[in-house]
Amino acid sequence: MTDVATIAFYLGVITYSVAATLFFLELARKDGDSGRAQWAPRLLAVAFALHAIHVLTASLFSHVCPIDSLHFALSFSALIAVGAYLALRERLRLSALGAFIAPIALTFLIGAQFVGQSSEAVLGVSRTLLMFHIAANVLGIGLFLIAGAAGSVYLVQEHRLRTKKHVAAIGSRLPPLDALDTTTHRLLLAGFPLLTFGVVTGAVFSQQLTNPGGAESLRSLLGYATWLLLATVLVLRKTAGFRGRKAAYGTIAGVVCMLLVLLLYVVRASGGSNL
Amino acid sequence: MIVVVGLSHRTAPIAVREKLVLDAAGLPDFLRALVQRPEVGEALLVSTCNRVELVAAGRAGFDSDLGQVAKACVDALAAHSPGIAPHLYAHVGGSAVRHLFRVAASLDSMVLGEPQILGQVKEAYEVARKAGTVGSVLHRTLPRAIRAAKRVRTETAIGSGQVSVPSVAVDLTRQIFGDLSGHCALLVGSGEMAEAVARLLKVGGASVIVVGRTLSRAEELANAVGGSARPWTALQQSLAEADVVVTSTSAPHFVVDYEMVSAARRARRGKNQFFIDLAVPRDVEPRIETLDGEFLYNIDDLSKVVSDTLSTRTREAASAEAIVGREAEGYDRWADAEQATPTIVQLRARLSAALEEELARSLRGRLKHLPEADRAALSKMTESAVNRLLHQPTLRLRQAALDRASDGLSLEQLSAAINELFSFDAEAEAVSASENPLPEAEADNSGLSLAPKARVVASRS
Repeated sequence: MTDVATIAFYLGVITYSVAATLFFLELARKDGDSGRAQWAPRLLAVAFALHAIHVLTASLFSHVCPIDSLHFALSFSALIAVGAYLALRERLRLSALGAFIAPIALTFLIGAQFVGQSSEAVLGVSRTLLMFHIAANVLGIGLFLIAGAAGSVYLVQEHRLRTKKHVAAIGSRLPPLDALDTTTHRLLLAGFPLLTFGVVTGAVFSQQLTNPGGAESLRSLLGYATWLLLATVLVLRKTAGFRGRKAAYGTIAGVVCMLLVLLLYVVRASGGSNL
Repeated sequence: MIVVVGLSHRTAPIAVREKLVLDAAGLPDFLRALVQRPEVGEALLVSTCNRVELVAAGRAGFDSDLGQVAKACVDALAAHSPGIAPHLYAHVGGSAVRHLFRVAASLDSMVLGEPQILGQVKEAYEVARKAGTVGSVLHRTLPRAIRAAKRVRTETAIGSGQVSVPSVAVDLTRQIFGDLSGHCALLVGSGEMAEAVARLLKVGGASVIVVGRTLSRAEELANAVGGSARPWTALQQSLAEADVVVTSTSAPHFVVDYEMVSAARRARRGKNQFFIDLAVPRDVEPRIETLDGEFLYNIDDLSKVVSDTLSTRTREAASAEAIVGREAEGYDRWADAEQATPTIVQLRARLSAALEEELARSLRGRLKHLPEADRAALSKMTESAVNRLLHQPTLRLRQAALDRASDGLSLEQLSAAINELFSFDAEAEAVSASENPLPEAEADNSGLSLAPKARVVASRS
């Protein structure tokens, strides 16, 4: 079983790397139709399958539920982001987002290896609630990763169209602005209830900890900031037509906060900090 | 090898090109009539608004007298459309191959890199194939031309971007909104270019509103583009509804100013809006670009995109020419090697016949007791023996066909020696004598006499 997981891991890393390279080459190319345009998402789909095999076999071997440990949760978030991207790619013309999603998935797949694999034991916390907490966060992270990527591509495409440079050469290979804006909004809508649940349960856990420490407090603070930023983006869009560039900036800021929360988890789990 | 005879925008004005129109229904008959001529064995016709070209090969395949084939094609076209002969050109042999490859790759088009020509070449091939006027030479040449064109399109940026202002405008609209269905386009004023943009937006699925100072003129334009007309007083309301605004009025001042767009933006709740200002003096106040979600391209911006695209295509033309050159060289090598084929075929037929005859005699005599399976095995063995015997001579003949500059024996010398040793010529004469000879007038067609002013471009054939 471990052999299968290891092989799937290495093949997944290779395939994600090649897919990411092809996505970038596709964005940077100057010529006409290219075979890479089809190969990049196909390879990403293969990488997704290998990644799923790795998570499944490795968690089976470790007797750990994929959403019950930070190690697998990290990996699983990236898996959800890739799966959501592959599902939405054709419908919303989001192909170019692969240039963001593939490296993110690669980073998470490799990064998860540096985090302890054992199931997290948090004293005084309901194990069932903890599992729901992690599951909600994993799904939310996956969706917000794509939302952040879509927001970033929106800014690139908008800048290109506004400055009127290279619009003929590269602009048409990026998704349309409206598709990016709609995607960002829908993913925020889908991920926000999960984030809310994650923040609320996280607050409950913080209360139950006898000695939360500076890292816990910072993590909670960043979690609230994420929630507040994304809530603001959603509310202002509804009430004041807050969309496009401003919404993209707001979403990216929220996703950055979320990634900082994740980074604190990783640092703590890898024992790199005494915070 | 092939010939290409015809005229194009480079050699004939439109007044001449429109004389040479072959309707689709009559084209198969024209091609069949052409291949009835003794010189022409295969033919197809590429016909576009900028060119009409016959691509033809002789009856003797790669050994045909291409001068005679070209002359027959010129005669056929001139007979169909008198007065065009001075504008005709004829490419022969390698030059014809290169020309065909360049045409298919859109390197000879009026708009460099336009994508339609490849489809038109494919269609011409298909029409001729159905008419039964394509033989072994064109069946091997056209796929190579199509392959060269596809390589050019995929390996270079020769076909990138749009090369007209209306197409660029619609392309940019798609970069903002994606699918145009469900979106609203507002046309303010009139003008050919604005009308062309509106038509393209309509084809893309957008609904079109036309607003003009004169309602009757706006209605006329709306009918022409399949939209609805509104009076000038409805401009502000229409601005709030429109995702794309195309302006083309002759007003000496801005007809869409910052305040109007700000108000419309509030009503649109921040949704993106694209202004295409085709007017000079400009209709849309440039300051609107500072508003989030408002995009403005004027005629200079659009022309710059067109110019950039054309520059890119021109730069890419050198790479495209190199690809065509390599593909044409590959074709030349293959065609050279093909010249050894008749000798190889004769040799194989002679050896196979001799061995099969001997085998049949033995099977009727001493080996008549052999069961069917053994007989089949012997037949297979004979075939293998022929293959082994001919392997080296085949390689040698093909090599001689390819290495014409080498010091060794030439293909002609080797073929002559084989003919002499195996008496192929005597055999051919005996076969020829047993068939009906051609009438004298048809047989005597030596010498090329094209129409006086038809240009001939020839190279190694």
